[in-house]
Amino acid sequence: MRAPSNFSLADSSGTQFHFPRPQSRACLLAIVKEDCDTCNLTLPLIEALHRDANEGLDVLVAVQKRDDIDVLRDRHSLTMPLLDDDDLDLSYDADIDTVPSLFLYDGEGASQIETFGFDRHEWRELSREAMTLAGLGGEPGIDWDALPVQRPGCGARNYEPGVYEKLQARKSGDLMARVVEIADRADEHEFTYEQDYTDGFPVVPPTSERVWKMLQGTKRDPQEEVAVVPPNLAPITVEKVAINAVMAGAKPEYLPAIITLVEIACTESFNIHGVLATTMGATPVGIFNGPIRDRIQMNYGGNALGQGNRANAAIGRALRLCARNVGGSKPGGTDRATQGGPHRLTMNFAENEAASPWESLAVEKGFEPGDDVATLIALSGGPNTFADERSRTARQLAGSFALALAPLQDPKSSTSDTLVVVSPDHAGIFARDNWSKDDVRECIMEDTRVPLKMRIRDDKSGAGLPPGIIKRFGGEAALDHPVAKFQKPENIILVVAGSPAAKFSTILGGWAGGVYSTPTSQRIGA
Amino acid sequence: MVAILDPTDERVPVKRELTPRPEALHGTVALLDISKPRGDVFLDRLEELVQERAPGVKTVRYMKPTVAKPAPEEIKRAILEEADFVIEALAD
Repeated sequence: MRAPSNFSLADSSGTQFHFPRPQSRACLLAIVKEDCDTCNLTLPLIEALHRDANEGLDVLVAVQKRDDIDVLRDRHSLTMPLLDDDDLDLSYDADIDTVPSLFLYDGEGASQIETFGFDRHEWRELSREAMTLAGLGGEPGIDWDALPVQRPGCGARNYEPGVYEKLQARKSGDLMARVVEIADRADEHEFTYEQDYTDGFPVVPPTSERVWKMLQGTKRDPQEEVAVVPPNLAPITVEKVAINAVMAGAKPEYLPAIITLVEIACTESFNIHGVLATTMGATPVGIFNGPIRDRIQMNYGGNALGQGNRANAAIGRALRLCARNVGGSKPGGTDRATQGGPHRLTMNFAENEAASPWESLAVEKGFEPGDDVATLIALSGGPNTFADERSRTARQLAGSFALALAPLQDPKSSTSDTLVVVSPDHAGIFARDNWSKDDVRECIMEDTRVPLKMRIRDDKSGAGLPPGIIKRFGGEAALDHPVAKFQKPENIILVVAGSPAAKFSTILGGWAGGVYSTPTSQRIGA
Repeated sequence: MVAILDPTDERVPVKRELTPRPEALHGTVALLDISKPRGDVFLDRLEELVQERAPGVKTVRYMKPTVAKPAPEEIKRAILEEADFVIEALAD
């Protein structure tokens, strides 16, 4: 509660009342609403002050709803000015959370007494002071003994859910984005399509109150620049991330995760420009570690890579919408994907750390187990699930992984960063035999090596290495020389996700041999 | 009225501007009667003028079933496919 120092409100006839009052008159300002018993109890008292102190005191009553002005006037036969604070500007500036709220000012416009609700003793003191400031002294004609000792006030309308956010959005100064008005009879969903704001699915219209609520999810300044987004190299502020997060269906508590993904995506090492422009149709895949997974209820259990979880779906989608709307990456424009895939809408999940016998992806990257960490990997291949329900040893199972990985791209080609999402049941087999991630990787490296002759282009397929390459390997004798599928073991990225439902695991293939985009991890801030 | 916040980098205006005006008439001109009274009179005269001043240009007439609703998709699609220009008779 803070006494407003300057305002201008109209009564229902349109007459404007300004504060500070002309001719340095003292003033009592009350803010009330109709559906409040305490306001109805006290309005006749304020009217009595108006009647008895009128000579030297202006009494102004601001009503929080326009339609209630006439109702209150008729109910209590009021003659004092009843002012329209329907837009709640005054209530917001006074930061009142309770009605009635009273502010008594002297002739200089300085606040002398502030009170809210009804306390007989306090009100009596206030009325005496008001009479004194009016230059009259004494007391107004009020039968104080007939009044209750105390009555709590009611919640002010400016703090009602929905109203509060609207006011904050309009008055807090947090929002600087251009306001786009949609005509009354236009359908807002059709409008967002017409403006090309969507990824093909409907978006939540980013009204200012939704965006303001979204911004409450971060401690960062709404106007802080988060990154410069390719391909248009447009700066993106926290506010712009929040707008696109609203559209994606995110909740405010996801915002720090989304901001972190935007930051990672726009790093030189991750190179979102190339990832989104490539004819190979790559996409950023987000993987989350740390307590944030449970805090925002991400799915790392059953169907972790699939649909149905709001956090998984919205966080990945929000990143894509930022790249589209701020960065300007659109199919047919700089997005030149030859075929693309549904994972380009959103592909984002958390690691099932409890079901993993290994250090998490984040810990592997040098973070602490308690850190909230996001990792982005550029991947071209959609989830490709393979089954192995027969292997009983880690060696056998790693061998099956190798068989599933060998045909990536095609069996003759080498590949690079590849995400292997190990199911809890498969992870359990590795755990039982005490195999580390490195043990699994080495086995896959070994099992996916094939003799050079199997990598050479031939009449059956143009895929593979040109026959002339044999010379570089030392001639015909090198044909039996083993060639690796992966450039290095670290290209095989192992994470655990899913439910203990069956012995399946899933592969997502990499992009462009991994040379243009490096998997990048970052701690999630506040 | 619903107002939303612009999710883009704001380098381009919100799309409400008219399509670029052509330099000259060519091909086919669609004449759309929106079913307002005397729209046909107006379009008859326009058709005469087009034929007189741009002899090579073809005109095709279309009519909305009712003035009270937006043009049905099939009419919009037909105009898009068959015509290079459209003149809509809005007034009474």
